[in-house]
Order: sequence, then C-alpha cells, then structure tokens
Amino acid sequence: MTTYTVYKEQLPRLFEKWSEAHALYVPARLREGFYDLVPWKPGLEIAWDFDVAYNSPKRFLLPPRETLITFNRKTCEAAPVFEAPAQILFGVHPYDVKAINQLDQLLETGAPDQNYVRRRAATVIMAFEPLTVSPSAFWATVGAATAAHGYDLYWTKIGPASFTVEVGSQRGEELLAMGGPLLPATAGDKEGARRAKARIVFKARRSGLRYNWEETPRLLAKCWDSPLWRRYSQMCLACGSCNLVCPTCYCFDIREEADDQLEEGIRYREWDGCMLESFAKVAGNHNFRPKAQDRYRHRYFRKGKYIYDKIGELGCVGCGRCVRACTAGIANPLKVFNELWEETTHEH
Amino acid sequence: MNTKPFSPYVPRPVTLVEKTKLSDFVTRFTFEQDNGKPLAHKPGQFVNLSVYGIGEAPFSISSPPRRTHNTFEIAVRKIGAVTGALHALEPGAKVGLRGPYGSSFPVMKFVGKDVLIVAGGLGYIPLRSLLFYQLRHRDEFGRMVLMVGTREPKERIFVDEIADLAKSGDVEVLETVDMPDNTWKGNVGVITTLLPKAELDPGNTYVAMVGPPIMYRFVIAECRKKGIASDQIFVSLERKMKCGLGKCGHCQINELNACIDGPVFCYTDIEAYQEAI
Repeated sequence: MTTYTVYKEQLPRLFEKWSEAHALYVPARLREGFYDLVPWKPGLEIAWDFDVAYNSPKRFLLPPRETLITFNRKTCEAAPVFEAPAQILFGVHPYDVKAINQLDQLLETGAPDQNYVRRRAATVIMAFEPLTVSPSAFWATVGAATAAHGYDLYWTKIGPASFTVEVGSQRGEELLAMGGPLLPATAGDKEGARRAKARIVFKARRSGLRYNWEETPRLLAKCWDSPLWRRYSQMCLACGSCNLVCPTCYCFDIREEADDQLEEGIRYREWDGCMLESFAKVAGNHNFRPKAQDRYRHRYFRKGKYIYDKIGELGCVGCGRCVRACTAGIANPLKVFNELWEETTHEH
Repeated sequence: MNTKPFSPYVPRPVTLVEKTKLSDFVTRFTFEQDNGKPLAHKPGQFVNLSVYGIGEAPFSISSPPRRTHNTFEIAVRKIGAVTGALHALEPGAKVGLRGPYGSSFPVMKFVGKDVLIVAGGLGYIPLRSLLFYQLRHRDEFGRMVLMVGTREPKERIFVDEIADLAKSGDVEVLETVDMPDNTWKGNVGVITTLLPKAELDPGNTYVAMVGPPIMYRFVIAECRKKGIASDQIFVSLERKMKCGLGKCGHCQINELNACIDGPVFCYTDIEAYQEAI
C-alpha cells in the first residue's frame, strides 16, 4: 500500500477542502482527561494525544436515534427514510476501526441493514495511531492493536510536525491529493511509523489479558455457572451505560410516533441495551432475563463468545470505555475475563 | 423497473377481512394482502404486524400455507398496546406487514411418520398452521395425535374446530385443563399428564410443540422418557422478536437469534444452550 509523508502545515488547507463537501470530525479536548471527535472548524486545536474518544464512533454510523420509515395511518402506506451524510472521521484509533469493521460484518450481512449500509458508504475513516493509552484500555491484548483494513487513510505521527499516511482506499488517496502534490514517504519515515506503532503497543501491553485472547470463548464455555456473575452483578444498576459507550454494542429498539393529527408518523430506532431490565421482556410480562445476573452474563458472553463464534474476533476491542462509564465499577471486561481465567486455572 | 429504494423495515399494506372472537381475550384475524399475492409462508413462521402510530409486534401465522389465495390468519390475545389496537380494528381496516420470517416445522421430515402435536395454551395458534397443512395431505402421514392443554376451560380456543377434528377421525385428540370448573368433564392436570395416555411408536414419531416457556422442559422430558429421540422433537420458542432480521438483539437465545435461527428449533440443536428451554 502506498504511504505518503504529510506535514502539519498542510492540514489546515486539507481540512478546509474536505469540509466543503463533508462533515469533518476531529479529536479535541473537552476538559481534562475527556476527549471526543467534534466538528472541525478553522483554528480548532487538535488533541493529537487523546487516549480515547469519550463517545464511540458507532454514533456516526448507527445514530442514537434514527428514523427508519415514514407512514400514513389512513392509507397504511410506508416509505423508507435514508440519511447518509458525507462525513470524515479523522482520528479513529485502530481498536475503534476494528469495532467499525465488526459492525460492518454484523449489520451488512444476512439481511443487510440498508440504513447502516448507506451511512457507512458515505463515511470516510481516517485512522490515527494512538500516542497515549487510556488507563482503562487493554486493546493491545485483545487483538485490536492493529486494523488490517476498514480505513481510507491511516495517519501516524512520526515527528512534532510530520505524519506518514498510508492509503487504504482510492477515495482516501483522492482526498489526500486535494492538498496538492503528494510526497511519497521515505524508508526512514516508514521506519518512524513502525516505531511509533511498536512504542504504543508496548505501552498498551502493560495492562491486559493474562492469557491469549483467542482462548476467551473456550474459557467462557466453562464459566456459565461461575460465582463471578453474581458477585459483580449484585452491584449492577441496570443503567445500560456500558451498552451506550461500547463501540460494538449495536442492539436497538424500534419505536414510533404520530403527528398531532394522527395522520402521518415516523418509525425510528433507538439504542437499546441488554443490561436494561425490559430488554428481553415480552407481552404478558414474561422476562427471559429477569435478573441483573442473567443480563450481565449475557453481555460478557456476547463480547467473549457469541460474537467470536460468528466472526472469529472478540466482541470487545479493549477500548475501556465501559470501565470508565460504569458508576458501580463492575463493567470491566479485563477484570472479568482475567478472573474467570484465574478461577478455571486454579481449579485443577 | 422498480427503482424504489429497498428497506427491510418497510411494511406492506394488508387489509383486515374478518374478525372472530375465540375467547374472552383471544380473537382470530383474517387479513388479505393488498398486493394480491399469497403470503407464501411455511408452518411455524411469523409476521411482524404494524398498527401505525401504536407499534409493531410479531405474530405466529395460524393458517396453513395457501398457494392460490392472498389471505392468512393470526390469532391474538389482547395483552398489550399493539394487540389492544388490533382488537379495536374492524374489517376493512389496514395494517402494515413484514415477513414471513423465521424457520418452520420440517414437514417433509414428517412424511410417512406419526406426528404428535403438543399445544399448551396459545401454542395451538402456530401449530394450527402445521396441523391443517398436514391434513391437506393426510395420506402422506401416519397417525396424527393432538394434545391440547389449557389453564381453565373458559380459556380454550378453537373449541368447535378441535371437536370437529376429533370427530373426523383424522386426528386423535387429547385435551386437558389445569383448573376445571363444573362444566368440564374431561381430563384434569397439566399437559404432561396426557403423554402417558397416548401409545406412541417412539422410533417412528415426530413431535411438534408450542406452549408457555415453562412447558417445554416437562413435555420434552416426558417425550424422552417414552424413547423419542431429541432429533425427532421440534419446538417453537417465543422471544422478543423486534426487527425480524437478526440485528436488534432482543430475541437472542445465547448466540442464536430466535427470529432467524428460530422460532422453530430441532431440540438437538438447542439442547446445549442454557437460555433455550
């Protein structure tokens, strides 16, 4: 894949150009320790060293609330609604790219979710090699340090004012060329990028799974009746915060509302969470996961086994967002998986 | 060429043509597809029905497949928002429809075999689709045994139909209620008490069962006791099917999606799943 060298001074012009036809989002500091992708505007200071974006990128592809259809109550006619704004996400860490790849695999296969498909097609992903690691992250030990695909451009900061940019798609290369002639990266620059990656992965490995992540589904298969589920879930507030911040949680509810004349209306989907009490409740009030323990276990099985069994990768990319979002301090895939591993290892 | 953009979330209009009261809470609805086409479902599948402005909910199809006719039936218990709104509709009203969705009873496997149909409570509704499909091809099957269990006599549904089936001699019918009243002359007890009453040829019998969540474990145990193998037992499992496309996550049974992997499962395939039965 072609790699170019780009200098910081070229960025304002590039951003300017890109934002003409796209909504452009870049990492910025919200306040001490909190970063997020925000709409770019000239002069905005980019937080190159952000450890994790407070919101996961799923909100750009599967918004918290999205209209699916409009309907007419009299005629019973319904029509699809597709919104797919052209957007560039600049500064997506590789673990989040992996999470997006996973959403692609799960939502675009089987009966493809056309709303997702269209939004995804209109979204340019510019990956960015992290410079710092969030204290709650463990992505380097769950196979999410590297995204092999899923980005249009991959940016690595190799000096105070220079980047290498690896091309992932033709669309990405064309966007990069809007800044003027492209400068192929030298062998030295490429080596700089390799080192930057090695340095951050080394740092990220300091905290992580104590076993090979590919063992997780086999580990969980042995742990359905573990006392851990109760131990942790008895503190669960069933608030669904872990679901909301998770870059790979995509469960949704479908609701609707009619106008004040009760003639026209919209049906929309809204993020839902398997930790919420009503998630598996059916008519007649039968709840298939009535206890917090059932729901808590389901979430970890989904991340550690069900998704893996489907696509061969963990449903958890180790971003650590849920660890930080959980007010009860119990959402922690790293602790859960490590403790289960310890439990099963010491049994013998 | 049709260039209208496709979305799997868009229902198509169907019209209510008939409404029949089955019990105090359960009503049978006959719909007609406005596009004039047959629904082309298989026994055991479900549809997602929209009462616009109220919501969408999944319902088992109660009628057998019809190749030449565009009507189909569901039977609904008035229990929530959408079912309440459905009950308020009168013939001529339109609703939205998506589907049919999900897996179905493997009727071809049943050919040449005895078939035991176990219906607990409202479970008769989806099983009716299978039952009447088989009756249309009655010669191709061995014995047909229908077991119906209801909580109370007043909750029985399709009472005349089931009585006619018993009279016809095509189906051996066994019925029970959990809590009899003074009008009830038949069997008393949960549905599992019917199984010892039927002499079945275990190697040659397929079982199809639908009922409340609590029922499966016990009926399956009785079937196994009789020597019926797991791969001859088929169950339909209700969950909160929402999108019908295996996406929204509500109907998961461990890693299975009840809406696309089910609702009909061979017991062998779900035996190992803790959340299934």
